[in-house]
Amino acid sequence: MNPTTPIIDISHVCHEYASNAQEHDLVLSDVSLTIAENDVVALLGPSGCGKSTLIRVLSGLIQPTRGSVSYRGKLLDGVSPGVAMVFQNFALFPWLTVRGNILLPVEHLPPAEQQARLETVLATVGLGAYEYSYPRELSGGMKQRVGIARALIAQPEVLCMDEPFSALDVLTAETLRNEISRLLASTDHPLRTMVFVTHNISEAVFLATRIVVLAAQPGRIAQIVPNTLPYPRDPDSPAYRAAVETLHGILTHTNLPDHACVPADAGKVVTKVDDTRRRIGPVCLPYVTPGEVLGLLALLGDEPCDVFDLAERFGREFGAVVRVIKAAELLGFLSTPGQDAQITDLGKQVAAASTTEQKHLVREQLLKLKIFELLVRLIRVQENHTITEEELLRELQAALPHEKPKQLFRTLLAWGRHAEIVSYDQRKHQLRLYERKHAARAVGHPLIPPTA
Amino acid sequence: MALNQPRSAPRRTSLLIDAIVIVGLVSLVFGVAHVAGEWREPLRPNVEIDLSPWALPKYALFSFARGWIAYFFSLVFALVVASWAFYDARAQRFILPALDVLQSIPVLSFLPGLVLALVGLFPHSNTGLELACVLMIFTGQVWNMTFSYYDSLKGTPPDFRALGKLYDFSWWRRFWKVELPVGAQGLIYNSMVSMAGGWFFLSVTEAFQLGDQDFRVPGIGSYMSVAHEHNDVRAQLFGVLAMGIVIVAVDRLVWWPLVLWSKKFNLDDFAGAAAKKSSVSLWLARSAAIQRIGHSFARFQSWMVSPKHAPHAVATATLSTETVPHAATGRRGHIGKWIYRILLALIAVVIALGLVQLVRLLSHVTPADWRTILADASISFGRVMLAVALGTLWTVPVGVWIGMNPKLSSRLQPFIQFAASFPAPMIYPWILALFLHFSTTPLQWGAIPLIMLGTQWYILFNVASAASAIPNDIRSCAAILRLDGWRRWSRYLLPAIAPGLVTGWITAAGGAWNTTIVAEYVQDSGKLYQATGLGSLISQATAAKNFPVLTAASIVMAVIVVGINRTVWKKLQAIANDRCRFGT
Repeated sequence: MNPTTPIIDISHVCHEYASNAQEHDLVLSDVSLTIAENDVVALLGPSGCGKSTLIRVLSGLIQPTRGSVSYRGKLLDGVSPGVAMVFQNFALFPWLTVRGNILLPVEHLPPAEQQARLETVLATVGLGAYEYSYPRELSGGMKQRVGIARALIAQPEVLCMDEPFSALDVLTAETLRNEISRLLASTDHPLRTMVFVTHNISEAVFLATRIVVLAAQPGRIAQIVPNTLPYPRDPDSPAYRAAVETLHGILTHTNLPDHACVPADAGKVVTKVDDTRRRIGPVCLPYVTPGEVLGLLALLGDEPCDVFDLAERFGREFGAVVRVIKAAELLGFLSTPGQDAQITDLGKQVAAASTTEQKHLVREQLLKLKIFELLVRLIRVQENHTITEEELLRELQAALPHEKPKQLFRTLLAWGRHAEIVSYDQRKHQLRLYERKHAARAVGHPLIPPTA
Repeated sequence: MALNQPRSAPRRTSLLIDAIVIVGLVSLVFGVAHVAGEWREPLRPNVEIDLSPWALPKYALFSFARGWIAYFFSLVFALVVASWAFYDARAQRFILPALDVLQSIPVLSFLPGLVLALVGLFPHSNTGLELACVLMIFTGQVWNMTFSYYDSLKGTPPDFRALGKLYDFSWWRRFWKVELPVGAQGLIYNSMVSMAGGWFFLSVTEAFQLGDQDFRVPGIGSYMSVAHEHNDVRAQLFGVLAMGIVIVAVDRLVWWPLVLWSKKFNLDDFAGAAAKKSSVSLWLARSAAIQRIGHSFARFQSWMVSPKHAPHAVATATLSTETVPHAATGRRGHIGKWIYRILLALIAVVIALGLVQLVRLLSHVTPADWRTILADASISFGRVMLAVALGTLWTVPVGVWIGMNPKLSSRLQPFIQFAASFPAPMIYPWILALFLHFSTTPLQWGAIPLIMLGTQWYILFNVASAASAIPNDIRSCAAILRLDGWRRWSRYLLPAIAPGLVTGWITAAGGAWNTTIVAEYVQDSGKLYQATGLGSLISQATAAKNFPVLTAASIVMAVIVVGINRTVWKKLQAIANDRCRFGT
């Protein structure tokens, strides 16, 4: 790996989306990255960490709010000249045949040259027999082959791929990954430089020479891990497994940092996370439902469990599982030593409890959180002990300017109603503190546990 | 609303809003009395219109009442006919194609005939004219509402129907608790579209006169027409202003709150959670008077809906074997069957009589007449196509531009919507005056812009909505591929908006044929301007009371429109939908 001349260089890039007139979502925060010749860079991270935005900034599709993007030393204005892109959902034009789609980037060339290039890429991706089919008739894997052929025919200096295999089934994705890896390894194919987005660790280790691990909210670079394994890479080799293991650790630590309250786990990889964000007073619950947390507790055994194994076992995306674990940790039901999740005694008690007792325990834990203290106080000071949605949103925004008030409101409502702390009248959009109507109700168990 | 929480704190009420509601109710009662009085007035040879702006509220009320009476009938028709088509598989085979034809024929071509027939039925009062007016508006409103409700009946989740069966819902309860809520959103949205179309027919029918015969009825349409006759620019401006206020008021005060309210019927749980109330409905909810009306309505409603017998009282055992949704059983079923047969027979007799009458009428049409009709039809055909083509030329780039800029489209949407619902014939004379500078027979070519004025908006709407639905990945891909200039349009944008464009064309062309009848035959300041064409031929035939030619021309127009729909538009639509739809 001899990084030579830089092709794309971005420095101190920040990007915001205006969600409305007042609120701006910071998607990328102070990101600097250089893509050099012969680099194969993976952008790895959970959903919401801005990796799709980042690859669009690199290709010039998105003009970042702040910071500079240059291509071969020149400041970029508009789309990069030497970049081709493969999209998650293929982005094939349904009204053009496979041939028409692939030829789009080279229509300015003489017909003979077009035909020659077309035959080459069709052979490369194995689409010869599909030349005159419409994309509609093709399977997902075939569609993505067309997408790759369309990108390759332009003979780009940098090939960008935005989650190219995540819309495909596991087997098809495996095949395509192998084919891309073979292209990268073969000396007679011009494809050398590539940037791709993925949330799949093994995919990153399999293809990339450098892995950029991103952290979420706001999206920023947590760490850049070089990967010097020789091509073709064998997923069963110890070196490969070790690399995957290391990345597991980094991702977990990035997303589940060990707080002071959790015993620090020495000996594991220590991540340098440049946490430039200001810490705010009350810690907020991640946006998950009580049903998810209680379900997780029920499924966890006594033994500590690797977070990635959990994600795999539940068939859910890593980022989503991390959010549930975070919420459970915040309520004291879990601890997260290293990259493991370990159920606490309280968690075991909750998992074994009846619906009513469960609610009781969750309520106790919730009321310890600053944010619920704030909520109860806000309702108490109102006349009638009732607060409208509008007022509450205003108060939340004032108290927690860095959170999204609507999302926070929905989370508070989900947990507050579950734990019978508040009740909500949707007809009038009003919240009040929950009062049990009859004493008898408290004893009788509801037929259906209201967790789902 | 407040029924269930008697202990809750009293809602904040406002005297001012109470007063407004009461004044509104009182004026409603007086308005109804006034409108009813107007209907019983003897038929006048000429309409008497007071051009002072102070008389305008009265005329606006008349127009408003006609629009809503027609809407009421449209709603009832839509609910009844759609349910009939849904529950009766035999009737369905006739109703659906009939509705399809009815929706595409240019109903305005029947206006002259309809007016003459109804005036003949009620020779001594205004009732005939008023009925003609309401009927015309009805025909402009009813079809899309019917289709929308039929589609929602078909799309009702089977779970809901199973629930209704399980708890033995009466038909009324099933309608009120299941079918209407499921259909509400589509019905309300289509009502909004229908009302906008209704204003066009309203303005034309109210201002309808043929040669020396005056069929105008007092309303905003006739106010404008008299104002044009007298060249009273001030009154014309006030007329346009009044129409605009009516349109905006109905949109803001009726449809907008209803659309927001109907979001709670969204079957998609998550979208429904975001349901909001409009400021108007919140405002009204504060008024104690409305609350009380709400109470009594709620009481009436719960009386209507409450089951008259306990669920499961009727054999539940038949449930599993029952396949027809409402298999009629016992004596009641027999009577129902007979009523149904008699009804069908009656309809068949009416249709047969109508056909005989039609053949007799058409036998009077000479070969020369047929030649004129066909020649004029081809000229009108050219005009309609040119109007659609010219409309396409500017609406496609503008529509794409609007559709791909969400900010722009939300800012422009109310204006475009207003332009689309404003009845263009009201301002035809203004444009005619402009053309008179260039030619003494201005309508030959001038009819084309007149036609465009009312119809091009449909293309704009559909193109903009198709452009806004282009997936983000496709947009990024087009940018990466650096598709520019002609390649950008031919390879990317035109195919991407094709399904919307064709839908826009179908609606615009249908509307354009309708419009030829008023755009090829314009009366202004006592002078008559005509263009050669099928539309003006229909108007001329009516003026001359030449019923055979009128009938023949109307039929030719209907056949042309339905024929082109079937042979050209539907095929184009199928191709566009097959090739150019994004997604799986």
